[in-house]
Amino acid sequence: MSVVAAAVCPHPPVLVPEVATGAAPELDDLRAACLTAIDRLADADRLVVVGSGSSRGQYDASAGGGFAPYGAPGVRFGTGDPVLPLSLAIGGWLLEQTKAAGLPRVYLSVAPDEAPADCLALGQEIAHGNDRIALLVMGDGSARRSEHSPVHLHPRSEIFDNTVASALAVADATTLAALDPDLATELHAAGRAPWQVLAATSDLTGELLYHAAPYGVGYFVATWT
Amino acid sequence: MLLVGDPIGYVAQSSRVDRARWGRTARVGVVADELTGQGVLRLGRREFGPGEFALMAIVNRTPDSFYDRGATYATDKAYDAIARAVEHGADLVDIGGVKAGYGEPVSEAEELRRTVDFVAGIRARHPDLVISVDTYRSGVARQVGAAGADLINDTWAGADPEMAAAAAETGAGLVCSHVGGLTPRTDPHRMAYDDVVADVIRTTTALAEKAVAAGVRQDAIVIDPTHDFGKNTLQSLELTRRLDELVATGWPVLVAVSNKDFIGETLDLPPGQRGNGTLAALSVSAWLGARVFRVHDVPAARQALDLIAVLRGSAQPAGTRRSLA
Repeated sequence: MSVVAAAVCPHPPVLVPEVATGAAPELDDLRAACLTAIDRLADADRLVVVGSGSSRGQYDASAGGGFAPYGAPGVRFGTGDPVLPLSLAIGGWLLEQTKAAGLPRVYLSVAPDEAPADCLALGQEIAHGNDRIALLVMGDGSARRSEHSPVHLHPRSEIFDNTVASALAVADATTLAALDPDLATELHAAGRAPWQVLAATSDLTGELLYHAAPYGVGYFVATWT
Repeated sequence: MLLVGDPIGYVAQSSRVDRARWGRTARVGVVADELTGQGVLRLGRREFGPGEFALMAIVNRTPDSFYDRGATYATDKAYDAIARAVEHGADLVDIGGVKAGYGEPVSEAEELRRTVDFVAGIRARHPDLVISVDTYRSGVARQVGAAGADLINDTWAGADPEMAAAAAETGAGLVCSHVGGLTPRTDPHRMAYDDVVADVIRTTTALAEKAVAAGVRQDAIVIDPTHDFGKNTLQSLELTRRLDELVATGWPVLVAVSNKDFIGETLDLPPGQRGNGTLAALSVSAWLGARVFRVHDVPAARQALDLIAVLRGSAQPAGTRRSLA
């Protein structure tokens, strides 16, 4: 296995200060945690960003990302039209601000409904080879965490997110691999498929840097090194 | 094999992302108005950049003003009104000792009695508040200037030829108005203009240039089309509609539309019921680039102006979270 480090980050548009406008300081701690986690990927040979998209896809390092669709046309990176789906756009945007910005990179999207086995297989493909690879895994917890969540409170959302947080904290790939896709869909947890790509990784030590749901959606930041 | 060994590799990127790490405070307030070339307005201890709206609260020291009918004639009530206006977001107060329209004659001595000590009292209570005094007498301007006034609101458009010199002597700024040649405290009758906007621009910019020549600081001069003064309703509406032409002169534009008769005639409403119409006229003026707004209802105007500042892109929302978490 040649995945030597991984970082897990959430991907809400509100993470981008120009999108959050005056509310931006409310997520200062989350942004700081994300950048800390991604900085730890800087020693790898190359970097793979994984996130959910409408379908399986691959984008090269120069692929454009931006937040005009969410109201902040001024925030863009890469070249050409912004083609990256939200999860990867947030990933690329965060990366640009870290010590890992200069690493060769590629972006991969996985469909939200991909079977766990397919996600694991993708993870094994990524890890194959001699390069020392770093993973940046973009994934949100349940969007049904509270009465004020984007989707109304689901009684199982908190326990689901706590399960994920515990697994991320100790680099427990087995638990991530066992997450139920149907339950994740019901709970509007966008991170399930990308986390199961990460679940192909083993022999790393986990650290959970952030776990909270400030706007009713579960956000996690973790590193596996 | 999906990607490993991908030869594309890293391509140097010209990122437009703000690379500064976060933790900065939210950006609220001024951005440069590069298109209009508008400069910074400096009054008292305050600076108002292009795109930043300055709100002027009206506080009358008169027993007979048309709108409030003497509500703040008494000194303690006037101080209370000022404290309330500041709390609600006023940047300036405009103190008037003489009713604008017809009314009891007010001698210069009486006007001084109503304004000078009051201005000094406001200055002591509110060091950063910009104090404007609405007067057409240079003698009053000199003494209120010495007492702490930052701006002379010469609503009668230089009727007193010494006014600019008086403002310059005290270091105060000056509002340059347009009244179509009327003498103070008279109403317009059959005023006629080939082009009222052109006449306003000609008159107010000439006064502004005269003020600069007299020694008034250039960045403390504003021009005021002075709705209703020397104008019928149709003419005041025309001024509002074409306010961008005044803005294009480069001089900061003050508008005083609050509860005026052109709104009343347009909507067929008496003075007490013109608040909504006032906000509409004020909003259009702000959208077209006016920078100082003289109003009676401070909270309503502040809310409207804060929203318009965001719409114009010179300020950002207090916080946007809906649908973005």
